[in-house]
Amino acid sequence: MRELIEHTEGINRLMARYGVKFGIYKGGEFHEQLFPFDAIPRVITHEDFQQLEKGLIQRVDALNLFLNDIYGEKKIIHDGVIPEEFVFLSSGYLPQCEGITPPKKIYSHISGIDLVLGKDGEWYILEDNLRIPSGASYPMIAREICRRVSPATFGNNSVVDNRNYASMLRETLDWVNTGGIPVIMTPGRYNAAYFEHSYLAERTGSELAACTDLFVEDNHLYYRDYRGKKQKVGVIYRRISDDYLDPMTFLPESLIGIPNIMDVYRSGNVAVVNAPGNGVADDKGIYYFVPRMIRYYLGQEPILKNAPTYLPFYEDDRKYVMEHLEKLVIKDVAEAGGYGVIFGNELSREKLSDLKKIIEKEPRRFIAQEVIDFQDMEVMDGEEKVLRKTDLRAFVLSGEKTRVWPSGLTRFSRNADSFVVKSSQGGGFKDTWVLSQWKK
Amino acid sequence: MKKLRFEYSMELKFSSPVSSHYFALHCVPGDSLRQKVVMTECRVRPSDYASELEDGFGNLKLSGCCAAPHDFFSYCVKGMVETEGMGVWKGPLHPMYRYPSAYTRFEPEVVRFARKVLEVCRKESAETTMEKAVCAMHYLHAHFEYMPGATDIRTTAAQALRLGKGVCQDYAHIMTAVMRYMKIPARYVTGLMIGEGATHAWTEVYTDGGWYGLDPTNDLHIDEYYINLAHGRDYGDCIVDRGIFLGNASQEQKIYVNVEEIKDGRNSCVNGTAGG
Repeated sequence: MRELIEHTEGINRLMARYGVKFGIYKGGEFHEQLFPFDAIPRVITHEDFQQLEKGLIQRVDALNLFLNDIYGEKKIIHDGVIPEEFVFLSSGYLPQCEGITPPKKIYSHISGIDLVLGKDGEWYILEDNLRIPSGASYPMIAREICRRVSPATFGNNSVVDNRNYASMLRETLDWVNTGGIPVIMTPGRYNAAYFEHSYLAERTGSELAACTDLFVEDNHLYYRDYRGKKQKVGVIYRRISDDYLDPMTFLPESLIGIPNIMDVYRSGNVAVVNAPGNGVADDKGIYYFVPRMIRYYLGQEPILKNAPTYLPFYEDDRKYVMEHLEKLVIKDVAEAGGYGVIFGNELSREKLSDLKKIIEKEPRRFIAQEVIDFQDMEVMDGEEKVLRKTDLRAFVLSGEKTRVWPSGLTRFSRNADSFVVKSSQGGGFKDTWVLSQWKK
Repeated sequence: MKKLRFEYSMELKFSSPVSSHYFALHCVPGDSLRQKVVMTECRVRPSDYASELEDGFGNLKLSGCCAAPHDFFSYCVKGMVETEGMGVWKGPLHPMYRYPSAYTRFEPEVVRFARKVLEVCRKESAETTMEKAVCAMHYLHAHFEYMPGATDIRTTAAQALRLGKGVCQDYAHIMTAVMRYMKIPARYVTGLMIGEGATHAWTEVYTDGGWYGLDPTNDLHIDEYYINLAHGRDYGDCIVDRGIFLGNASQEQKIYVNVEEIKDGRNSCVNGTAGG
């Protein structure tokens, strides 16, 4: 491991050369910034990972069943398990998707589940990302470079090989393919995750396509290659959001979408990965209900815990939130990416009472959570080791079976006192080592 | 039972040729409890293909494309519909029709207007859902001015109320928003009405396990002289004609709608002009 730390600068330089970048919009301008890599890995033991794996598979399976139910029979609502306003007032709920059965009934093919490790040694789920979670390419390429810098480190430490992400992804795409080629659709090089789109296309043997390369004809989707030859598309891993996907169904002003692709998808002539409409299941308000979903659909107790969460919508919870606002984190259900997160302990008395009034007026808009005391991790700051907050994005792939990638994206906060670990808010990442059961 | 013959055509002229023209049309009526489509004929020109399917709201949708350069685009739907009674559909309610949508948000103007309607309902002791809805329709018809050109297709219920005038789309949005505010499930409908004119819009409310239509623009119950084309949460869900193309051209649009009743083999037109 020391070898890796000594080479941190070299590893980062190589990654910059490969174009491992993160794009971000600030003040209306596009900037690309490097995503700094820290060589001290997160290490997850074999036993710990087994438990995580079980819990993540259980959670993602329940979320997929929920999505099938919501755009189908809506049993969970009729049975009173989830109040309907949390579903139908969510901006992620798309009535345009009603009645569609996605190929193999899979909605969330690639799920990015964010977790933190508490000081009590327990993993807590922070949020589910079922739309187009990004980030797998960073640990993929970091591991590749690290193996080149210090090949022995990984064998000596019995680290499970994580170079299978691309093949897992390809198998997932193949499983839902309706007959045709796989494509990865990118909104273009000014997207935050453009590096990832091109990297995953190369690694999975898929075509990297922009909207101008794709078109609908006779209710099928086609890709036009550089020679002008058209090929039928059987699965599209689209890296643009639902709103922009089809200007004939969603935002009419979208210039990066594919007109009428929703009709092709509705007719079962192409698989769209991840399925449109998933936003209703990873909504911050719905998060509260995921443990209930697991019990409802699977008849099992949730293996992984949610962070303790309160819904001001319920009177008991509202009372608790009002009395303990100064120690809670308040999240606006409609916001994403670390925005709209308020820490009660940072507010003045005046601001606290303002917030109380807003919550009283619009209780459905917020969730409140206990601040989890999560474990710090060591990060190299020059020659010095410092402590930072981290989280883990686990990647769960749903194809013939639901599987967890034995790795993940560990992100750390830029500042010592920051609890927000989001790529868009600064900070960097680490490799995530899952140890093998066969130790040397 | 009434028999209606309808014709609805649209012609679009472009000042210079456009290409890769994709369209999605809600111009073909479907069957419901109240209306039975005996026959329809739909022609879209020019078009490489057109496929028909049901959208997420249960409406018939015709979508297709014309790739080659063209300087006009048109469609024409003709057919015959048998209509009977007032109920549109029996069946379970989709919960989305209980909540505000993009055009029908509970903004202050909507809330203020809905409170006035509630007051009138109390005064006139309207109790059932239908009584309340009719009361709201009368009130809206009396307190909102019909004026073409005052609003456009992006105008929301609240914006229209601020102006105090508008067209059928605005009447229908306000009615839909007010109904939902009063906890009465409601949906927006586009369709055709007896007579010559343009496409029309109104509101349906859900009561007694079914949908019933009210036309606040004309202060009328939806009866056998109306043909439904599409419904949704608001205008955005059931746009009759949606298109996107490549080209830099100005457009000129002509719409013709004619609905007439067929009686004993002879045509007779019931008085009234459609339009919204």
